[in-house]
Amino acid sequence: MNLWPFVLYAALVLITAGSMIGLSAILGERHKERFTNQPYEGGILSEGTARARFSIKFYMMAMFFVVFDLESVFLYSWAVAARDLGWVGYWEALIFIGVLVAALVYLWRLGALDWSPDTRRKTR
Amino acid sequence: MSSADFVALLPLIVLGATAIVVMMSIAFRRSHALASTLTLVGLAVAFWSLWPAAGEVPRQVTPLLVIDRFALYYFGLIIAATFAVVLMSYGYLERHDVRREEFYVLLLVAALGSAVLVSSDHFISFFLGLEILSVTLYALSAYLTERGIALEAGMKYLVLAAASAAFLLFGMALVYAETGTMSFPQLASDFAAGGAAHLWVLAGIAFMVTGFGFKLAVVPFHLWTPDVYQGAPAPVTAFVASVSKGAMFAILLRFFYQSGSRDLHATLLIFGIIAIASMIAGNLMALFQNNVKRILAYSSIAHLGYLLVAFEAGGLFGAAAGTFYLTAYMITTLGAFGVIAVLSASGRDAEDIEDYRGLFWRRPGLATVFTVMLFSLAGIPLTAGFLGKFYTVAAGTNSSIWVLIFVLVATSVIGLFYYLRVVVALFATEHIPSDAERPLPVVPAMGGVTLGVLALALIWLGVYPHVILHAIQSAMSGIF
Amino acid sequence: MILVWLIAIPLVAGVIAGFVARRSQLASRLISLLAMVVGFVISVWLWAANYSHISLLTQRQWLAEFNVPWISSFGIRFHLAMDGMSLLLVTLTFLLGIASVMISWREIHDGVGFFHFNLLWVIAGIVAVFLAMDLFLFYFSWELMLIPMYFLIAIWGHERRVYAAVKFFLFTQLSGLLMLVAILTLYFAHHAATGVYTFEYSQLIGTPLAPHTAMLVMLGFFAAFAVKLPMFPFHTWLPDAHTEAPTAGSVVLAGLLLKTGAYGLLRFVLPLFPRAAHEFAPIAIALAIAGILYGALLAYGQTDLKRLVAYTSVSHLGFVLLGIFIGTPLAIAGAFITIIAHGISTGTMFMLVGMVQERTHTREMDRLGGLWQTAPRLSGSGVFFVLASIGLPGLGDFVGEFLVLLGTYRVSPMVAAFATVGVLCSTFYGLKFVARAFHGPNTNKWKLPDLSGREIALVGAMMVVLLWLGLYPQPVLNTFKPTAQRLEQVVHGPGMGYRR
Repeated sequence: MNLWPFVLYAALVLITAGSMIGLSAILGERHKERFTNQPYEGGILSEGTARARFSIKFYMMAMFFVVFDLESVFLYSWAVAARDLGWVGYWEALIFIGVLVAALVYLWRLGALDWSPDTRRKTR
Repeated sequence: MSSADFVALLPLIVLGATAIVVMMSIAFRRSHALASTLTLVGLAVAFWSLWPAAGEVPRQVTPLLVIDRFALYYFGLIIAATFAVVLMSYGYLERHDVRREEFYVLLLVAALGSAVLVSSDHFISFFLGLEILSVTLYALSAYLTERGIALEAGMKYLVLAAASAAFLLFGMALVYAETGTMSFPQLASDFAAGGAAHLWVLAGIAFMVTGFGFKLAVVPFHLWTPDVYQGAPAPVTAFVASVSKGAMFAILLRFFYQSGSRDLHATLLIFGIIAIASMIAGNLMALFQNNVKRILAYSSIAHLGYLLVAFEAGGLFGAAAGTFYLTAYMITTLGAFGVIAVLSASGRDAEDIEDYRGLFWRRPGLATVFTVMLFSLAGIPLTAGFLGKFYTVAAGTNSSIWVLIFVLVATSVIGLFYYLRVVVALFATEHIPSDAERPLPVVPAMGGVTLGVLALALIWLGVYPHVILHAIQSAMSGIF
Repeated sequence: MILVWLIAIPLVAGVIAGFVARRSQLASRLISLLAMVVGFVISVWLWAANYSHISLLTQRQWLAEFNVPWISSFGIRFHLAMDGMSLLLVTLTFLLGIASVMISWREIHDGVGFFHFNLLWVIAGIVAVFLAMDLFLFYFSWELMLIPMYFLIAIWGHERRVYAAVKFFLFTQLSGLLMLVAILTLYFAHHAATGVYTFEYSQLIGTPLAPHTAMLVMLGFFAAFAVKLPMFPFHTWLPDAHTEAPTAGSVVLAGLLLKTGAYGLLRFVLPLFPRAAHEFAPIAIALAIAGILYGALLAYGQTDLKRLVAYTSVSHLGFVLLGIFIGTPLAIAGAFITIIAHGISTGTMFMLVGMVQERTHTREMDRLGGLWQTAPRLSGSGVFFVLASIGLPGLGDFVGEFLVLLGTYRVSPMVAAFATVGVLCSTFYGLKFVARAFHGPNTNKWKLPDLSGREIALVGAMMVVLLWLGLYPQPVLNTFKPTAQRLEQVVHGPGMGYRR
């Protein structure tokens, strides 16, 4: 079996990665002063905690965006072949959009899209 | 796509549509009874639609899905099992203070994923079905968010299943890279022409075995099983143990049979080793558990090992034996976890073996059902589990895989030991806790009826399996 | 159809008895008793009606038969058939079934319904084992009778009941699974030879097997039957199970369940694998002798009455094994008489020990003694059955063991001599039993009620049967004759050259 390209490639990967780490360890500058391990070496002291708390809604919005944005990508691929797929394809795309709309309606009714806390619907 | 294609796809379409309908109903009127009723109706319609679909089989619908008798048989199993899970979930969820309705949407989507899985004969649809199933199961296992252990279960399942999916995907990629096709029948012709001997194909299949192993929870890919079984709500555990594993076993059969890679020496060897390890380790580890859910988890590892014996036996006989064993096993696990579900109070699931001490004298009906289930797991006559074991041993004997058969015989005796421990507790006559010490929840009517029906189905299959055997034997035409 | 009734009656009655017990315990007991009596009457009627021509039956002729397809995809049929051997064993089953229901009348108070359900289902399972002529059905019934037996021991047994029940279950399951593999091998071998998938007994006879395979398959069957029998060294479950079981459980175990092992050897091992059985015979005979001596020795060492009786079973069943593998017509007939007589004598012994325990709450010999002074009828019956067990001429056991010894002597005087030592040893434990339990001074000042009317009827009936078996065993031998002849044909068939 003709394995040598694979072996060569793997060897090259190992050599490259190894030399990058190894050389920087040998040649790299190293200093150990008072503020080396501080976040800002310029001398500004950091204040408070790094674990700032954000409202869950930011994450929700981000997630919805990703989900719906990704789903709509499928429509591009349909658009390319729309003429070939004909009416059947059209209806299928319509159903696909319908399912997305249904999900949106569900989220909206659930109150997931409401921004301010007091207008949020009480579910149970 | 022609209308015949749609008819063939009807079970899948109905499942998907039901999920959307239930979701919409939640959006406008949040009602547990409404959501569960809609789910049950949808499942019933999906089950009914198997008959019109049966008129159109076998049919290749798009290059991705194939609807044949094999797929339809497993559709029926999946839908019926989901129906039973819904019935036992109603009473269980009523006792818990969570949003109950979304549970059914997730369950329907999981059922849809399983159905896609069993009808796929292409890597793409295989992976799609698997992911639809897995993603919903992450959410379902962590459904009771107030329990720390449930979150742990969901998290473990997420990480390990994602890792296994990556292995599976890499395996598929390797096979595709070498053969240039992702469809099982085309792989078959390629393999038959000698392509299977190529190193990349072998490596790809090995990676895929890892993916299969994780989902089936066989040794050494079983580590998540006890924690997920214990942490997930009892109805979800029932679903994972029955539908999810059942669908995975179906695609295992379809892929390895249809692509012809079952007959590779390497495949047989590796699955043989996995089967032996699962039977031995599963049964031995179950011996030391005091938690009924964990006992059942380890026993499920062993049972998947038995199933792989049927797979190893091969041929029509082996595939049919595996499918029958799986049918029996699905009914049995549904029943066993159903008993746990109906006995569980709001705070915790009834999973300690002490919860079952003397149950026969307090709730004879429930204890009888549980005993029937345990005897079926142990393979005692009158139950379907016995015939399943008989069929599997017969398939193994027919193929003269003696090592596997003797490991099966020896380990199933070990298995008896821990099933009997639970039975002993059920029928214990001393130190029976009074109602004040360990109050027993009222058994919900729907859950009770479901359990009764499952027990009767188990005995019916164990005594007069003719109808099911016939269905299975004709269903196997799909993968030969 | 009548054979189906023999199985269905206890099954249905068991379910009814289980449910009515909530209303009335008496009704549950009466229904169980009625079912057993009806079964007994049917089997006795079958015997009486067919007795005149029973010994004339030829090969492949049954007294009664029932044959319908069951799981046709595997060629499994629901095939029941009865010949002289199964007729006698079924009759014995129902007789001891009556005794078990009656002996439990006072002993069992808790869970009466479930108890009778289990008892009747064990009986049904045993009857099905004796009648099944389809190997799948046979295995099915074989496994089925274990579960109710397990419950009888595990729920209503004595102190270490759970341990004993689990041990019993594991031993029999493991050996049973080996038999399943053997049955399946035979099934596929038959298919390979003839192209027919069948579990039918009469068709599987004569399946051509390579000598090596035949030996392995024969060992698979033998394992199941040897554990049940029990053969030394697979007997260790027996003392525990017998000792911990409730009286009715011990009666069914000793009287019937052990006999299914002997039945299996006679019905399946010898006819299906004559050559392999013949080659294996020296080992089986050696183990039988070991069992006879070892059982007797250990019985002598026991102080627990039930354990003592349990070990005597190991010894007596050694004679059965010996007779079967010696294989001459005399020896086989002797083994069969021993099966019947041991069922009755040991069954009754367990009942008597149960009665002693019910009255004194102990089975320890050291705490008994001098019972004769306070309960002469109980003690007298005890002595009668001990004498039967040690082989007093005129009683059933003597006939059986004598025939076995006679048959053995003609094949190998050496073996016969060893076996005779076993008979001698039985005198020791028998006399120890009598001396320590019934005779001697009543040091513990026992004042016991003597046998009640119900108990006298029960024990008396058993005495009559045992006497009849001892004095005039000819009807039993005649009934067994066609089966014996058939066995002789296969064992000494052309080219076997059995006799040394």
